[in-house]
This record gives sequence, structure tokens and C-alpha cells, in this order.
Amino acid sequence: MFVTDIRKEFYDIVRVALLVSLDVDALCACKVLQALFHCDQVQYTLVPVKGWQDLGTAFLEHKEQFRYFVLINCGANVDLLETLQPEEETIFFICDTHRPVDVVNVYNDTQIKLLIKQDDDLGVPSYDDIFRDDEEEGGDQDSGNESDGSSEPSGKRRRFDEGAIERRIERQRARREWEARRREILFDYEQYEYHGTASAVVLFELAWVMSKDTKDMLWWAIIGLTDQWVHDRITHMKYVTDIAALQRHVSRHNHCNEDEDNSLSIDCMRICFEYDLRLSLYQHWSLYESICNSCYTLSTFKLWSIQGQKKLQEFLADMGMSQLQQKFNSMDIAIKENLRDVIEESSNKYGMKDIRIQTFGVHFGFKNKFLATDVVHAAAALLESVEKDESGTDNFIKALDCLSRSNLDQLHRGIELAKKKLMAIQQTVASCICTHLILSQGPFLYCCLMEGTPDVKLFSKPLALTLLCKYLLKSFARSTRNKRCKILPLVMAAPLDVEKGTVIVMGIPPECETSDKKNFFGRAFEKAAESTSSRTLHDNFDMSIIELKMQDRSKFLDALVTLLS
Amino acid sequence: MPRNCCLHSENEAKSEGRSELIPSIKFRHCCLLRNQRCVTAYLYDRLLRIRALRWEYGSVLPAAIRFHMCAEELEWFNQYKKSLATYMRSLGGEEGLDITQDRKPPKSLYIEVRCLKDHGEFEIDDGTIILLKKNSQHFLPRWKCEQLIRQGVLEHVIS
Repeated sequence: MFVTDIRKEFYDIVRVALLVSLDVDALCACKVLQALFHCDQVQYTLVPVKGWQDLGTAFLEHKEQFRYFVLINCGANVDLLETLQPEEETIFFICDTHRPVDVVNVYNDTQIKLLIKQDDDLGVPSYDDIFRDDEEEGGDQDSGNESDGSSEPSGKRRRFDEGAIERRIERQRARREWEARRREILFDYEQYEYHGTASAVVLFELAWVMSKDTKDMLWWAIIGLTDQWVHDRITHMKYVTDIAALQRHVSRHNHCNEDEDNSLSIDCMRICFEYDLRLSLYQHWSLYESICNSCYTLSTFKLWSIQGQKKLQEFLADMGMSQLQQKFNSMDIAIKENLRDVIEESSNKYGMKDIRIQTFGVHFGFKNKFLATDVVHAAAALLESVEKDESGTDNFIKALDCLSRSNLDQLHRGIELAKKKLMAIQQTVASCICTHLILSQGPFLYCCLMEGTPDVKLFSKPLALTLLCKYLLKSFARSTRNKRCKILPLVMAAPLDVEKGTVIVMGIPPECETSDKKNFFGRAFEKAAESTSSRTLHDNFDMSIIELKMQDRSKFLDALVTLLS
Repeated sequence: MPRNCCLHSENEAKSEGRSELIPSIKFRHCCLLRNQRCVTAYLYDRLLRIRALRWEYGSVLPAAIRFHMCAEELEWFNQYKKSLATYMRSLGGEEGLDITQDRKPPKSLYIEVRCLKDHGEFEIDDGTIILLKKNSQHFLPRWKCEQLIRQGVLEHVIS
């Protein structure tokens, strides 16, 4: 059931268990909610969950102690009551970006409350199309008629019988038709996976409705939205629309504090709208490195080839800037001032029309200036860091900490990890394209990372693998001459656990300017696994990411090819 | 060490006609007095630390610490506990006031804590049970957490 008055129906509770999924948007939403709970002294327990199994375990452990559960970025796209089997009094509040929302979750009035805006482009089928009270089989009603008819002479009774039989056949036919239509509607509804408004933004609006929003919460909402854009979960249109909505909040916050007479201290947090370059982490790196490792420039210049490198050198010469290999912070101020315009001018000549993107930046103190994308990359790198002795929950805590302003060293550490990650992605993309590792299987492209590839451990995690797939598909679409291959989706496999012999398989929709980011691989993987009885684990909250045994890989792929042809 | 021991030894020396020993006796006496002062200072410092233990750990000391205390010190500790308890009961009306809580003025009623190791289930005042698993975070009333923070099970998160 959708919650209409988010403040009254959700917020007035005393003790709650927060189950949070492992992605940056969920972390930001969690921070906003924690800040609100601190304000109003609602006791809570925070548990990170990696997938459906973790969710089940956490629920079992905590169901004795808590009546209310809040699920962030998990639980909307599957029938929750069936999966978790809760008691009657347990109530779930779900704030999730995964769509389509399972119809049982939508139409359950008592135990499931969805914190999702109803105008969020949901397309939920109407109640009567899917559910109906089971009618008695025509038999009972006909027996009533028969008993009436028994007092009549036998000729008439036979006619009544025939009438009854006809009605029954008619009812059965209507029922079969209804069921066929129901299957069709559900199939269309559940076929494509996509994402809705960021959870952090939804919870920020809750804070705003209660007039308890602060700049910190606004900044977290911005990071949540930017995370969706960086990991390619929403369309460009939606991103721009949501940015405009957040921009109104930013102006409101900026105007209520600062005016001519009392300007804010330099240590206070200031958020500003920026029309900034699409170069990842460029303010914490040298400009040259950033250009070499950002998706947009990497794919446009085709930097894996020698020609591409030459073109890059031409571009840099055209820009006419010096000190490109120096750390950004040490570049001359004169150069930094006109940087964006100079780069935009030069990139227009080289076919990069939208090198600039609307985003937000924050600065507090004299030294600390960050863009939203920087923080997203840092938090994602911390969340999935593969260094030894760090369990999943340790990483969760570190990533959660790096979002606070008082933990800048954690944030800087995240930025360093993110740089390594981006460099690893760039090298892997270059090697995949140069060694022609991407093969067309017919209805989709397929690429498999081998065990000994450098940094392959990084790609056993979903967020890093998402970025790699996105960069790879974009670069491949630019580099291939085959017109058909340009519009194919990509399935990628990377080794997950060598001892158990599993790989992580992920599918992304085709690369296209006007793509609506709807992913059909979730259902396709399910069906392919069923039909070949491969040993798969559909544990991730995103249905398009699964684990598979290495031996079953080839038959799984064959089934997928047949399914999608 | 009483002064008359020294005088007694001096008198003995004089009476036996060995007055050249008197400086040695005086010197020895000074050394003994000095040693006595050192030992007393040490024992007094131990006492002060044992007193601080009551404020640090509460009324039950960990076995590791009890191992290093002698019987008299334990006795002293118990008596100190008793007099502190009597004093606390005399404050604050009916139930007394636990002055070992909140030694610094608290900033908030509830604090956010992070669990550093698996501690199992933990019960708070109104009967609700919290499961303390490694790396889970909780937002709980301050007085309930202080004990566990001192034991090192929970960590106060300041963000």
C-alpha cells in the first residue's frame, strides 16, 4: 500500500529496525533517516544487508524484538510477505528504488507500507485485473436450480440441466480468458526492471515536510541522486528533472542564511549548483589523468588505440593549457578560472557536445571542496573495497562514515581507492577491446573476464562491475563498425569465488542516447536458469545480477541465446 | 618506625662505651625511615587507584584485576563500596541517586553506538531485547550503553 501522508503514517513510531542495502543511495537515505531519528529520539538498530539471504537472516534475528522494520533500497520488487513470513503485527516500511513494485506489496493494506511517490511512473495494473474473489465452481448454483427443477416433470428438468451446463461452460471460459489476460498483464508489468526516484530524495522530502531538513540532509539527497546517475540507473531526463527539484531546495537553503550584513563563516557548509565537467575526480587528480580515466573521454577518444592517444594529444594542444599533469590543486589560479569554458570549447570541436553536466558541489573550510560525483565514487569504492581483513559490514561502516563532514580522512581514503578503481576499469576496458574479448552471441554481446586478469577481484562486486560494463559497452559501441552490434545489450561474467567456482553474471541494456534504462535480463536469467537447471543464486536485490557455477556457464548462455532470439 | 628505637640503640651504644657507632645508627635509621616513606607512598597510591576502580568499573571488578589485589585491599575495596552505597542511598529521596553515572554532563538522552564485537542479546529497562552483532549500529538511551562502552563492547559514534 502506498503511504499518502508520509509524516503521520510513517514517522510516529518508537522503535524500529533499519535494514539497509549496500549501495550509495541507500547509505545516503540511511544517513538522512538517522539524522531525523536522532532529532526525535526514535530508537533504532541499523543492519546492513547484502542480498535476499542476508535480509532473511537479519529479519529472523530481529523479528522477536522489533515490530516495525524499515527497508531501504530492498524489498519492493518481490512478494515480501511470502519471502519473510512475518507475524501479523509486523509492519514493513519500504523505501526502494527498484521497480516494478510487486503487485502483492502494492495491494496489501495492512503490513506493507511503501514510501514511494505514486506519480513516479509506476504503471501498476488495476486491482480487478489481477485479483478476484474465487467464485464457486458453477456446480453449487446449478444444484440449486436442479433442486428447483426436480419438482417439475422430467422433460423440463432436462432442459434446465442443459442450461446449467451451458452456464458453467460459459463461466469457465470467461475465467480462463480472465486468467490469460492476467498473465499477460503481469508479464508486461514485470518484464522490465528499472529504477525510480532516489530513496535519499524521498526521505529528504519527508524531512522537508516536517521542517527538519538541514544542509547536510540536502547534500545527502544530492549524493543519492548523483549515485543513480553515475551507475546509470536513471535516464538523463529524469536526472535533469530531479536536479531541478533539488536546485530549488538549494536556493532556499542558501538564501535563508546569507545576506549582505551577516555572511556565513567560512567553515559553514555551502552547497552550490555547478555546471561542471564530466571528468571523474578531476579536482583531486591531475587533469590529464582524469581525462584518461573518465568514461566519456575514454570512449570518445578511443584511448585504447594509438590513434586515440594521438587525438588526445591534439586535443590537449588545442586547449593550450599547461600544467595538465600536475595535481589540480597546484595548478595556477589563472588557469583554473577559465578551465571549464576552455575545455568546453575544445571538446565541441572534437565531437564531445555534452562534456558538462548539471551537478552540485559543496565546500566548507578553506581546503575542502567536493563535487557530488567525487563523493559517490569515494563511497562506492569504500563500500566495495577488497582489501584483506575487511568484511562487508566493516566496509559499510566506513562508507557510512565517509559521508559525514567530520570524517574527511575517510573520504580522502575513498577518493584514493576510487582512483585505483577507475584506473583498473580503464585498463580492463582497453584490454578487452584490444583483445576482442567481446563477442556477439546474436541477441546480445558477451564478455567474460578471465581469472588471471589484473584487478579482477575488484570486479567481483556489483557496483564496480556495473561501472565496468557501462564503460565497456559505451567504448565498444564507439569502436565497432558493425551497425547491428552497436545496439545490442551486454552480458558480462567475472570470477567471483575461485574456490567455489562461481562467477558473477550481469546484464545491462543497450547503449543508446534515448535509452529508457529498462533491463529485461532479470526475468531472462531466471527463465534460462530454470530451463537448464543451472546452479544459480539470485541473491542480489537487482534481478539482473546473479551468481552462477562456472561449469554451468555454457549451457546457461545457450539457453539465454535461445530465449532472447 | 618510632623514634625511640633509634634512641634505644643510641643509649645501648653509649652504655657499652661504643659511641663511635652513633652516627651509623642515626644513618641507618634515616635509611629505614626513607624506605618506610616509599612503601607507604606506594601503598597509598595503590589505594587511590583501587578507589578509582570503583568509579571506572562499577561494583564488580574483573577477575584479571582482582588477581593483582591482596586480601586486605579487597577488604578495603568492599568497605569503600559499602560506604559509597550508603552515601548514594542517602541522597535524592527514596531510591537514592547513582552518582557514578553521567560523570560528565551528557549532551543528549540517546546516543548512537556501534557494536565492536558479537555480544549476543542485551536487555534494556523496559524489557526489550537488542541483538548486539559486530558492526551493527544502534540508537539507545545513554545510561544503558555506558556500562558496555566501558567494557569495550560498544563504541560511541560521533558524527
